[in-house]
Amino acid sequence: MSGPRRAASGLLGVMLAGICLAGAVLAAGPLAHREVLPNGAVLIVAERPAIPIVVVRVSMPGGAVRNPADAPGLANLTAELVTRGTAHRSGPELDRAIEFVGGGLDAGAGRDSVIVTLSVLKKDLSLGLDLLAEVLREPAFPADELARKVADIQASLRRAEQNPDTVAARTLGPLMFPGHPYGLPPAGTVESVGRLTREQVVAFHQRYYRPDGASIVVVGDVTTAEIRQALRQRLAGWKAPATRLPAVPRPAITVPAQTRTITRDLTQTTVLLGRPSIRQDDPDYYPLAVATYVLGGGSASRLYTRVREERGLAYSVYASVQPGRYGASYVVSLQTRTDAVAEALRLVREEMSRMGREPIAAAELELAKSYLIGSFPLRLDTSGKLASFLGAVEDNGLGLDYAETYKARIARVTTADVQRVAARYLDPATFSSVMVGK
Amino acid sequence: MLVLAGGAAAQTAPAGPARFAVTEGTLDNGLRVLIQEDPRNPVVAVQIFYRVGSRNELPGATGLAHFLEHMMFKGTPTRGRGEISRLIEQNGGRDNAFTSKDVTGYYVNIAADKLDLVLDIEADRMRNLLLDPAEIDAERQVVMEERRSRIDDDPEGVVYEAMNSLAYVAHPYRAPIIGWMSDIARINRGELRAFYDTYYQPNNAILVIAGDVKAPDALAMVRRHFGPIPRGATPPPMTAVEPPQQDERRLVLRKADARLPMVNIAWHVPNYTSPDAPALEVLSTLLSEGRASRLYRRLVYEKRMALGAGGEYSYTSLDPPLFWFYATLLPGQSPEAMEQALLAEVEQLKREPVPTEELQRARNQIEAAFVWQQDSVFSRASVLGRYELMGSWRLLEDFLPKVRAVTAADVQRVAQRYFVVDHRNVSVLLPVPAAGADKPADAKGSR
Repeated sequence: MSGPRRAASGLLGVMLAGICLAGAVLAAGPLAHREVLPNGAVLIVAERPAIPIVVVRVSMPGGAVRNPADAPGLANLTAELVTRGTAHRSGPELDRAIEFVGGGLDAGAGRDSVIVTLSVLKKDLSLGLDLLAEVLREPAFPADELARKVADIQASLRRAEQNPDTVAARTLGPLMFPGHPYGLPPAGTVESVGRLTREQVVAFHQRYYRPDGASIVVVGDVTTAEIRQALRQRLAGWKAPATRLPAVPRPAITVPAQTRTITRDLTQTTVLLGRPSIRQDDPDYYPLAVATYVLGGGSASRLYTRVREERGLAYSVYASVQPGRYGASYVVSLQTRTDAVAEALRLVREEMSRMGREPIAAAELELAKSYLIGSFPLRLDTSGKLASFLGAVEDNGLGLDYAETYKARIARVTTADVQRVAARYLDPATFSSVMVGK
Repeated sequence: MLVLAGGAAAQTAPAGPARFAVTEGTLDNGLRVLIQEDPRNPVVAVQIFYRVGSRNELPGATGLAHFLEHMMFKGTPTRGRGEISRLIEQNGGRDNAFTSKDVTGYYVNIAADKLDLVLDIEADRMRNLLLDPAEIDAERQVVMEERRSRIDDDPEGVVYEAMNSLAYVAHPYRAPIIGWMSDIARINRGELRAFYDTYYQPNNAILVIAGDVKAPDALAMVRRHFGPIPRGATPPPMTAVEPPQQDERRLVLRKADARLPMVNIAWHVPNYTSPDAPALEVLSTLLSEGRASRLYRRLVYEKRMALGAGGEYSYTSLDPPLFWFYATLLPGQSPEAMEQALLAEVEQLKREPVPTEELQRARNQIEAAFVWQQDSVFSRASVLGRYELMGSWRLLEDFLPKVRAVTAADVQRVAQRYFVVDHRNVSVLLPVPAAGADKPADAKGSR
């Protein structure tokens, strides 16, 4: 039983999968070595010798945003299948090989990218890289594995319907991103997944599991020279296909606000308010990050104080901006007992409006800056976290010095910036709303 | 004064070449202190564990430990409501807390140079909690919302709660950690105060610090902040003993919000104090960990009956826990057939020794997880605290050797000994059609 605060993450599976980079500040010295390999893939290495473990995170442009309009769920199915058999090993053989050494080799499609992650003890790195290379380059996509995986995904989608957060998120997606792939359910629907074919999977893999546009992040007990050599051996024949990687359109930033109510026989109502927002390449992103922390980012936030602490109306209430590679979403979330929904929503909307109507207090600004800048080392204190950060920085084109630029930009934010940006991006009238409950 | 074991630096966690020494000591007031230096990152994990959880509660007042955990963020005479968390965040840190059946823990991850602030806060709220009546009533509503989210509106939460109440009749493990709704609604300030005074004492706490600190400096800080707190009375022992189960117990839950059936089978088993515990730990791993694990391979992959399946065991439980077999069904599969399939797996474990490869894989997975856990100061502090709660963090040193020594005959023996029909608790979760659900009603644009 954890509590009293629930982390403001993990609830929004169908929102942007781009990780939140708020709070990034670099310690002195480079975080990692970066180079471009001959085939176009970017290699990033952070040496952490103290513990004999290695994480390898390979990201490629095969995320849900690449799903054809008539085949939602294709990216997810393809990712699920690359570990289910290669030219040399069946799925169960791969499982036994990696798990016998206590390691892990998994692939998953996010919004923007497909990420294949290898986790092994240092002594098993060679085996792990052999398996990783097979999975990347020679997946066999056996027909029986495809049939199994389709049935599993369909059952998972059915099961997810018993989770009100998931139901709310899948409903909000198309309201925030009408006509854009960000609005489609990343894993597809029971019906759409049932229509997917092996030919589509093979073609998707050929098109998007490619070195140009890929990043390979290695963190742990390795040297750059060692890993460069090991990867060169195994990925020598991995070449970019002749076809160009198609461009992805940016989603609209202004869309009509809509309301949806999904009836469920529950004791609480789950409420999500959402709209498209801005990402890190917009200078207003940094004032928005500050505004978000003040509004609903921590236990000192206005939403937490007003809705939870003063009124006891919710256990979970927060606001978050979720930037991806092509766009961003902004979501305010709460769960409250059925008879308190109107009051809780009134409080939330009032606090959102007030962000744009009045300047925040100087103390609030200072608290936000201190937290966003000062909590940075906590984001990099394990090999897994560091690999995710480096990969996200590379994939989103933010530069390895992003942590420094972030710190500088946050430090420059004024109360006037916060008010101006909040008026533009936090007006509750511009947010679509979804309610799941009685 | 602090009493140091074996000079300033003592033993270390056993696995891998990476060794981080543990400095241990006990203040005169009884506070146990464990410090582990790790200079790799400029951060520190500070965790304080109180030896109290839902196992220390009585019928009619369940949820007290968890309710009190919430109140620990509501202020002392020198720090008002919410100020503790605000101070932590202002200094770039993150804090939270948890309540389990056995223990209540508070943790802060923060830049290493803020250790003094964290210790000041923890020492303050160890004995100076306000427990303001208005704050109690507001927080009561929050805890009720938490219960609705975690249990009442989550079919699997309901199953878990019901299974514990089914399997335990005399031991407080039968009550939910968060408490029954009627108890949360009723608990009063006097009870919270008495519970706080009984259990929130230095002699009932374990303080663990892991990170970029120097042990002697950290010890001096601990002594300065906690030293002046007087020793409290020794809390009463929890004396309930679960009687041996005599007959199989069964339960059927029908939930409109469930989408897939679920079958659970749970047996009473011993905890880490038993020589059988390492074999149960290995068994749980070989049944559940990864796609090559036995229940995944048989029930999910080969027989195509389940979406997910596993076997779970809590080695570190303070009192004897349950060993759970569980499976979520694929659509169209029958719960009866699934129960039989799970029981067939159990019978096979009793009948045949597990193959060498399977056993070695499970042992390797446990060892690798042990090494991975060392990469995080948060995880290392948590594990040290957990083992200290069980008696001593030095129990950690025996863990891997014990796991390595488990044989196929051991696994077979514990299966035969504990997975017997009269000790079985079975639950089946059945989705039932809801009246008029799933309509996206009122699909109207607002504005």
